[in-house]
Amino acid sequence: MLFLKTDENGNPAGTTTEDSNITFWRAKRRWARVGIVYLVMLVFAVLFVGPLLFAAFSSLKINPLEYPPSLRIAELNPVNWVTAARLGNSGSGNYWSGGFAPGGDIPFDIQYFIPDGVEQQTPEIQVPRRRPGAGLGAVRAIEFAADHAEIHDLRVSDTEIGRHEVEDVERAGRFVTWSFRITYAGDGPKIDRVPVDILAAPQHYYISSTLPASRLERRGRVVSFVDIAPGIGRYVFRNYARLFDEARSVTTGQPLFFAWTRNSFFVSVVRVFTNLLFASMAGYALARYHFRGKFLVFLVLLFSQMVPAQVTFISNYLLLRDGLFGLSNLFGRTSLLNSLWGVIIAGAGSGAAMIEAGKVFIMKQFFETISRDVEEAALIDGANQWQRYSRVVLPIARPALGAVAILTFQGAWNEFFWPFIVLTSPEEVKTLPIGLMSFRQTYGAAGDWGLILSGAILSAIPVIILFVVFQKYFIHGVSFGGSKG
Amino acid sequence: MRIRSVVTMCLVIGLSTIAVLSSFAGGAGEAATPDAPVEIRIMGYGGQDPAIKARLLDEVIGDRLSEQGIVVTYEPLEGDYNAALFNALSAGTAADIIYIPVETAPGIIDTGVVANLNELTDISPFIASLNESYTFNGNTYGIAKDFNTLAMFYNRDLFDEAGVDYPDENTTWEDLDEMIRAIAAIGDDVYGAAFPASFDRFGAFAFAAGWDMFDDDGHSDLTDPAMQEAVEWYTGLVRDGVAVQPSDLGQGWGGGAFATERVGIAFEGAWMLGFLRNEAPNLEFGTAMMPIGPSGERGNFVYTVAYGINSQTRNLEQAIAVLEALTSVDAQQFVLEEGLAIPSREAMSENEYFERGSSESDANRVVFEGAESGRVFGFQFGAVGTDWMTPINAALSEVMTGEASVEQALATAQQDLNELLAR
Repeated sequence: MLFLKTDENGNPAGTTTEDSNITFWRAKRRWARVGIVYLVMLVFAVLFVGPLLFAAFSSLKINPLEYPPSLRIAELNPVNWVTAARLGNSGSGNYWSGGFAPGGDIPFDIQYFIPDGVEQQTPEIQVPRRRPGAGLGAVRAIEFAADHAEIHDLRVSDTEIGRHEVEDVERAGRFVTWSFRITYAGDGPKIDRVPVDILAAPQHYYISSTLPASRLERRGRVVSFVDIAPGIGRYVFRNYARLFDEARSVTTGQPLFFAWTRNSFFVSVVRVFTNLLFASMAGYALARYHFRGKFLVFLVLLFSQMVPAQVTFISNYLLLRDGLFGLSNLFGRTSLLNSLWGVIIAGAGSGAAMIEAGKVFIMKQFFETISRDVEEAALIDGANQWQRYSRVVLPIARPALGAVAILTFQGAWNEFFWPFIVLTSPEEVKTLPIGLMSFRQTYGAAGDWGLILSGAILSAIPVIILFVVFQKYFIHGVSFGGSKG
Repeated sequence: MRIRSVVTMCLVIGLSTIAVLSSFAGGAGEAATPDAPVEIRIMGYGGQDPAIKARLLDEVIGDRLSEQGIVVTYEPLEGDYNAALFNALSAGTAADIIYIPVETAPGIIDTGVVANLNELTDISPFIASLNESYTFNGNTYGIAKDFNTLAMFYNRDLFDEAGVDYPDENTTWEDLDEMIRAIAAIGDDVYGAAFPASFDRFGAFAFAAGWDMFDDDGHSDLTDPAMQEAVEWYTGLVRDGVAVQPSDLGQGWGGGAFATERVGIAFEGAWMLGFLRNEAPNLEFGTAMMPIGPSGERGNFVYTVAYGINSQTRNLEQAIAVLEALTSVDAQQFVLEEGLAIPSREAMSENEYFERGSSESDANRVVFEGAESGRVFGFQFGAVGTDWMTPINAALSEVMTGEASVEQALATAQQDLNELLAR
């Protein structure tokens, strides 16, 4: 770095002033270059990671479509975390997930500004019977907090004289705080959430409340809270909790997201193993053996990479429909449609199947770089063909195998087209990307983007982890294959 | 030589295995014994429909069907339903009962894959205008599952603030014009109404002006004075700045704009109710019939989806039984009373649900009555499908943004439309 020895004039030791000028100029150049490189990288980072981060933040909001978008998110304010935890505890004795259980007693305050000359009126507090507007939540029979909640002790707890800006004009008036408690009357089931609507008279301007309002409606007259006893977990990760609570299978009642994640993992892991095994064996054969038609096989391999998925998917679909000429009957299925094995076995195009041409190519290229001498040495030591392959060559090929593994995993995890064709019903058989698309139709149509965003963020996590942990293999993969993943 | 014989042997073994297995496969499908329940598959929309079907089967019609030895499976098709349905039909994997959306009905029925219901079941209890959309050459191919029409949704708070009377079934275009201007006068951020540049809403106004989509020869005449008048009125309010396109409020549709509380009126159907429950649960809204236009009548679209029976089904009798159960009185009553959809049986107009007096039940009643009031047409554009709307949508958008005059825009649209219809 730039810690040079200096003499008493501040010049680098053993230099004249002229030299030091040049050195200084050089150093300046160097730092300028470093600065530019970092700036460019920063811009790229923001460009590529920015949207993901923004989506991650938005997935915490009650209204992810908030316009204009803002990064001042109430859910990320530690003061609100403490309040949410306290309210959750008073609602159900649970700091983390909150809720409303027998014995619950939730204290709440709300403050309005009332300009001078406006008559002060007590706001109306209501616990509404509210169900989700879309998806299974809209159809399923649920328990309502409204059936068990009682509102007590609504009173003015504080009045303060002051000034406040109203519609761009500063006006004199008073800040009035009302307090009330909501209690769970009698015995009953635990309820997930306690929505509250507070209707104030006109010209009562909402200032603040124990928890910030979820939304203002009816031109500012109604202050609405989706849940006043959330607990810290449900407050910050509301959309994530809903993902598991609301999006359930109609037949089994299990959260769909679990099933989809399980399916995606299954498909990805099986594909990684089949590709590692078959691509390395095929690559080895192409790299080491001499047999008639080898060049032709290699050409076919290259050619299969050039055929777009859209060309082969119909024939592959028909093949699966008939269960691979009836072979699937051995496993008790007449058709491989709507089956994860169908997604694994056949693929649309070369980029997604049990064995992929691109991966064979990567392995072949790598094996060709390994010197024959190594194998010949093993041959002299008496190793047979299988031993030379499995004990000698494969361990050396670990970087290439790593590249194949992650490229396959990432490809299979994100794959959309082929699973979309094969997996249509029931809901539980889908993989994550297909499942998330059904969310778009179910919830997106009703403007409820929170669930979709949180699902998308969760589904990106495995690939992000994979990338961070194995990033050097990604570079290998690109340099071996010379192209796509 | 040795290699060649091994290859040949492999081939022989492989091919014979395949042959044996495929004959086995053929047999497995027919193996059902007479006592085993018959599976009837339904292919339909994703979204909320799977959950509604599950409740319907659990709570209303499931027992009845299982007594008849029928098991029902619902298969939602996600994404582009029409594309997915055509794929399934051509691959032979389509279900016994399929949803037929009204806008693609002519195309689907034309291919002969849907069974004619005239001889199979009684279609008379269903609303006539719905049956008409699925009747071709006197044969009816679908029974409407439920339906929607357009209605005028208005924001009571904005009307109160502007000091204007709420619209009702006698409101005319002139009355509406005044209301819209009065509400827009509240402030810069408030508009009287949301008018999307799209025929799927504008059409109702064109019909109210007396315009018909097709003449007897199957041509569409956009230069008709009635069309001109409707376009001028509809776009004029936007150009005057008293009405707004939803996209100018950052919203994709009229309902989105309505939920922002920045527009007084939106013209939508009952599909908006679930959205409002989510996005603006406290919004005080009322619903009125569509306004009466210069023709002296109101115009409206009927949007619907019907159950049709796949003509390739192997269990026709059971499929009919399921179709009848799904559209039975108690099934429709259940769906209505839960506020999930609007039933297609004419007699349902007497249901007490419509008299509950809540904003939602009022809206459902107005939408239900919309199907039989004034000039009502199915949301259907012959064999070209929804592409038919594209030139008109472009014209509306051009006029609203001031890129072209009404005459210019309609002339261009007419040209495009002629090309489209000539295809």
